[in-house]
Order: sequence, then structure tokens, then C-alpha cells
Amino acid sequence: MTTVGEIERELASLRSPGDGTEPAMRTSVMTHLAWVPDEWLPAAHEVLSGLAERHPSRTIVLVPQPDAEDGMEAEVAQQDFPLAGSERSICTETIELRLGGDFVSRPASIVAPLLIADLPVFCRWRGEPPWGAGELEQLVDLVDRLVVDSREWREPAAGYARATEVFDRVALSDIAWSVIQDWRLALAKLWPAIGEAEIAVRGPAAEASLLHGWLSARLRRDLPPVEYADELDVRLDGEAVSPQRSEPRSPAELLSEELDKFSHDRIYEEAVRAAAR
Amino acid sequence: MATLQENPLLEGLQLRRTPDPCALVIFGASGDLTKKKLFPALYSLAFRRLLPDKFAIVGVARTTESDEEFKARMKEAVQQHGRDEFREEAWDALTDGLRYIATDFADERGEDELAQTLAELDEERGTGGNRVYYLAIPPSVFPTVVDALGRRRSAEGWTRLIIEKPFGHDLESARALNAEIQKHFTEEEVFRIDHYLGKETVQNMLALRFANGIFEPIWNRQFVDHVQITVAESIGIEGRAGYYEQSGAIRDIFQNHLLQLLAITAMEPPIDFTADSVRNEKVKVLRALHTPGPKSVVRGQYGRGFVEGEEVLGYREEEGVDPRSMTETYVAAKLYVDNWRWADTPFYVRMGKRLPRRETVVAIEFKRAPHPPFEEISADGLRPNVLLVHIQPDEGVSLEIGAKVPGQGMTIRTVHMDFLYGGTFRTGMPEAYERLILDAMLGDATLFTRTDEVEEQWKLVDAMVAPWKRDRPSFPNYAAGTWGPPSADDLLRRDGRSWRHH
Repeated sequence: MTTVGEIERELASLRSPGDGTEPAMRTSVMTHLAWVPDEWLPAAHEVLSGLAERHPSRTIVLVPQPDAEDGMEAEVAQQDFPLAGSERSICTETIELRLGGDFVSRPASIVAPLLIADLPVFCRWRGEPPWGAGELEQLVDLVDRLVVDSREWREPAAGYARATEVFDRVALSDIAWSVIQDWRLALAKLWPAIGEAEIAVRGPAAEASLLHGWLSARLRRDLPPVEYADELDVRLDGEAVSPQRSEPRSPAELLSEELDKFSHDRIYEEAVRAAAR
Repeated sequence: MATLQENPLLEGLQLRRTPDPCALVIFGASGDLTKKKLFPALYSLAFRRLLPDKFAIVGVARTTESDEEFKARMKEAVQQHGRDEFREEAWDALTDGLRYIATDFADERGEDELAQTLAELDEERGTGGNRVYYLAIPPSVFPTVVDALGRRRSAEGWTRLIIEKPFGHDLESARALNAEIQKHFTEEEVFRIDHYLGKETVQNMLALRFANGIFEPIWNRQFVDHVQITVAESIGIEGRAGYYEQSGAIRDIFQNHLLQLLAITAMEPPIDFTADSVRNEKVKVLRALHTPGPKSVVRGQYGRGFVEGEEVLGYREEEGVDPRSMTETYVAAKLYVDNWRWADTPFYVRMGKRLPRRETVVAIEFKRAPHPPFEEISADGLRPNVLLVHIQPDEGVSLEIGAKVPGQGMTIRTVHMDFLYGGTFRTGMPEAYERLILDAMLGDATLFTRTDEVEEQWKLVDAMVAPWKRDRPSFPNYAAGTWGPPSADDLLRRDGRSWRHH
């Protein structure tokens, strides 16, 4: 069992080890929360390791363990990046908090004192958020942007309906939306023909539903229902559309892009509302 | 393609700025600039897929080479000087339409061959008659090339001309050059490169000033004591005696980079970030620059000395330099911007070769606190606040502030609050040429110098160098590896000030 005070003391001692070396300079552009159930932990660690350089921040990884005893355990780490031409280094901090038992339902009170004042707070929620549950509600009120990946959800369509409930309270980002950017661009280039064409969308549930919802919302007309398949495929009057593919992006790059966005994405919200219908 | 208003699917899509299909013709393709800067920059653009799909490059130079030899040499250059990892597919995409033409710039047959090659590329690569001509050539051949290009300009598509400095060697020659260019090209088609403007940190000066509410209210004569701009180089003339003997520090650095830095530091907020708005404000500053009298200008030339532990030759001993040369390798000046914002606020500027280190920095020194109660107990004398904008090599911004030393009593020391570009945004910064080449292809002239700016810069330089014809200072007057001649220190000492970093 640890306390917030102990975590803060540990952070201070890591930054200034007291052995005569210059303290590392902390540089941060945000506080980055990550809600990571155990099954997502290895993947989350991999993403975070590729992220620190691009988005220097205080990262707080929250690992919910509802079956464990009440309390929290913390691991605090500092990652140093040497500055070229200097003996000094820049550091970013990671706090991994394992929340046990009832502590799972009260994350905001634990996280709030650890946020860096006046910097934006992003929260990456791994897996499908438990819409309406206390822990999610608390964090939604605390953060500026909630980042999800609806490809991680069991039933994206049902999830989209619940996601619309938080649009008024927080800016929502979806990595699945970012992944279909090339498709959107390719389809946009087909205007005005696409306006009247018969459109068929097939593909994995999240990507296909979002693309379908976007087309339907933007073109203001109903489209034939999505057919689920392993690969995304869009046909206009029976003819396949082939987008020009950008360089494949790593999970860290995909999350990194979401962390550069600050405002609500109205077009995404529109697509989600349409996908939820 | 339909416009944004018409096409509902385009809304919200973050579209990359991609130029129209075009052919880029580099005159002076066998030179160092092409090898060290242009091709590495083009490769980085190709690496990030920022070039148009329909694109071609034509290298033009006197050196006899085949397409393949030129391509191989540029590949080596990209591998050596590029900032991105080398990927064959990116290189192939860049050089698929690469051609090389060996010709003298004044050779009609060469010009015909270029026109023929470009027509073929339009056909093969779909470049649509759009041309970007990059003139990385000596000023003496500018008129010939500009005239040839003007006479043979494509009837289809757009044409843009990128010109490397120097834009003349005085006001008269600059006007003559502009007149020559304007015979065939409009001002909107001409892109005069000052690569300093392509640097992220120079653009960050605009962000610092105009995106933050806290600086602009104090960015004036009421709060600023003076400004210092330093462009220091530790290198010598690097074998460019022919060029440097003619230009000297005042034409090499002062007339362009330094005055542009000063203009960006002193300009009023533009109404928007379009080319004309930004350049209108810069030119107002250049027009408002008060011509300094001879006592406000110091020139120097380096003698032998030590730089980074190595003994280096004096300027007059460099290969190709006249042993009695009176070319200045150092200039310092006190300038005034005669307008409401800056009246009576000195801008001390200095630039030179063979100084102790490479450093470009703008220092805004604020006035002292009006009644500091800690004067007697401060550790190092209470110093005024200074905002330092580091352009190179340590890009970033620092603010010097007084802070209490922990412990009993009230001891104050000056500390630096640093924002380091490389520390906060740890993504690779684009090279200036990447930004500038892409902007020229897109027709965005914001970061290029307009003809009236160039002429204002020359007016000032001409006025400053006029008295130099009459007097002959005792050169060399500073040792390599030092911060310039003692008279440069006197320039500030007379005002009760001193240069920074001594």
C-alpha cells in the first residue's frame, strides 16, 4: 500500500538523486492517463515506450484489479533523454498504479493530486469503456480528451450508442477513426459521383461502421447496412474503391496522433451518431 | 476536384499541403548546395510523401555527367547528409523522373535541350507544364539564365523561380537584377531564399511573439532596454575566397540573415500569416531603420588564432585571399528602428567568422526592476531579465530571471528558465530547405524575401559601407577564436552596456 505523498517524494528523488549530478529537467506537454486492465498491460507498455520521446509527459498508468485487496501499489520510473551537446538530460515520468478492490471505483481522487497543473489531460482507455460506471464517469469529468480504440470493443455498434452520451462532456478520440483516414480521403476524391452512387461497405465491425456512418451522415442519405468481413471494402455502383495507402503506422504513432488533437471532432461525432442508429 | 463547400466529404479531413504536379529544374546541380542541402531536403520531402505524385527533377550544370552518374552522386549525398534513414523506395520515387543536362548556362543548345527534356517529362510524368526553377548559380550568370528561362517559358502551367542569395551586391545591382527578372516574371513568381526564414526557430519567434499574450505588451521601448542579435560562426571562409572577398560579412550575413532576424524581432503583428501581410510588416521595419553613423559601426578581420584548440590561419593567409585584403570578416553595429514602438531602443548586432563558437541568438534585455529591494544581498548583482531566442545550435527560448537561493537570508541569483526545442518536441526538426522548397512549389511566399525588402536592406548596407572607402582600418584587428575587435566592446561600453557571453 502506498500513498500519493510517497509517490511525489519518489518522483522528486528520481529527478534529483542527490549524488552531485545535475538534476534532470522535466519537460511535459500534458498528463497522460492510461486505464489499462491486466490483459492489455503488455500492449500498453509497448506503446508507452515508443511515446515518451514524442510526447514528453507525466504518464499515469492505472491498472484496475477489482479482485485484489483494497488499496494501491505504485511503481515510479523516470526516463531520461540526454540532451545533445550537454551533460544534462530531459526526463519524463511514469507512475504505474495498481488499484485494488474498492480503489478501482475511485480513480479520480487518486489521480487528481498527481496531475501536472495547467496542462491538458488525456486518457487512453484500453478495451471497451464501462459506459456509465463510476470509474469512467469520474475520469471523463477529469480529463480533456478520452482516447479509445473501438476496434478493441466486442460490439462496436452498441458501444457507439453509449459513446454519444459523453460527447457533451469530453472530447472523444477513436484510433479506429484515424485508421480509416485513407479511405475517407479516397472516397472524398470521388465527389460528386459518390453523391448519387450505390454504396456498399463491408469490413471489420468498427472500421466499416464508422465509414458507413460517416458516408451516411455526410451524404445525408441511408445506405445499405454494413456487411461484416475481415477486410475493409467499399464499392460504388459495384466497383471497388482502392485508397492510396499511407505508410502503416505503429500503435505508438497512432496514439501519438490522437495526443496532438485538442478539440472535439464534429465529423467523427456525427459518424458515431449515424453508426449508432 | 470540387471545393470544400461543395464536397461534404472533405470537411474535417486534414489534407496535407501537396503541390501541383511539377518539374523542378536545379541550375548549379553539381554544386555543394545541391549536394548538401537540396537533394537531402528533396529526399526528406519524398520520404514523408509531401511531393506531388507527378514530379520530376532536372539537374543542370557544366560538369559532364550522365543521368545515372548524377543520380548515383546524389544518392551518396543523401546517404551522407540526409536526416532520414535511407529507403530505396523513397529514393526511387524521388528520382524516377530524374534527368541531368550538362551545359554552359549561356549555351543556346543547352537551353533547347532543357526545353525539350521538360516537354518530354510533361508527356511522360504528367508535370503539366508547371516549373520550379532553382537558381543555385553564381550571380554573374543570373541574367543569362533568367533571360533564357523567360524567353522559353512554358505556355501551359505555372512557373516559379527560386533565387539564392546574393540578390545583387548593392542597391543598384539589386535593382538591375530585379529589373531583369521582372522582364519575364512577376513578383508572385519569384521566391528569394533566405534560408534563415525556413528555420523552425525563426518561425518560432513569430509564434512566441504573436501566439502568447504575455510578451507583446512588454515588447517595446517602455520595457525593453536594448536588443542584441549575434550571428557567430567559428568556421572561416571554407575555401570560398572568391565569393567572400567580394561580399565580406556585411553582404554575406548582415544584408540578409541579420536584417531579417531584426525585422522579425521588431515587426508589428501582421493581420494574418499570409505572404503579403508578413512581408508588409517586415518591410516597414527595414524602412524605419536609422542609418548608423561611422562611429556606430565596427568592422574587423581575423588574424591567426585558436578555435576549438586548433591553430587556424588569419583571413589574409587563407587560400585565394589577397594578402592585403581589406575585406571585413566581422561587423558590429548599433541600429535604431525609428518608429513608435522602438524609438531610442538600440539594436546591437554583430556577426563574424572565426569567433569562439557557432551561435545565432536574439537577446531581448528588459529594463531593470525600478526599485529592487535585494540589491545589496544579491549573489551576483541583480541582473535585468533577458529573453534569449536561440536560433542555432541549441534551438529554444530561455528567460533569465532572479530567484532566491534556498537557505537562510535572501540571496538572489539569476537562473535560466529554458524551453529547449529538442527537449520538448523530440521529433526531428525539418531542415530549412525542406520547408522552403515545398512552400515555393505550393506558391506560398511568406518565408521568402520580397523585392522591396531586398532593396531596403541594400539601401542600409550601401549607406553603411560608403565611408569604408575612405578609411583603412588596421587589419587584422581580432584574433581567430575571440569575440571580435576591442572596438566592438567599446561600441556598447560607451552606452554603459556589454555584449552577452563574454
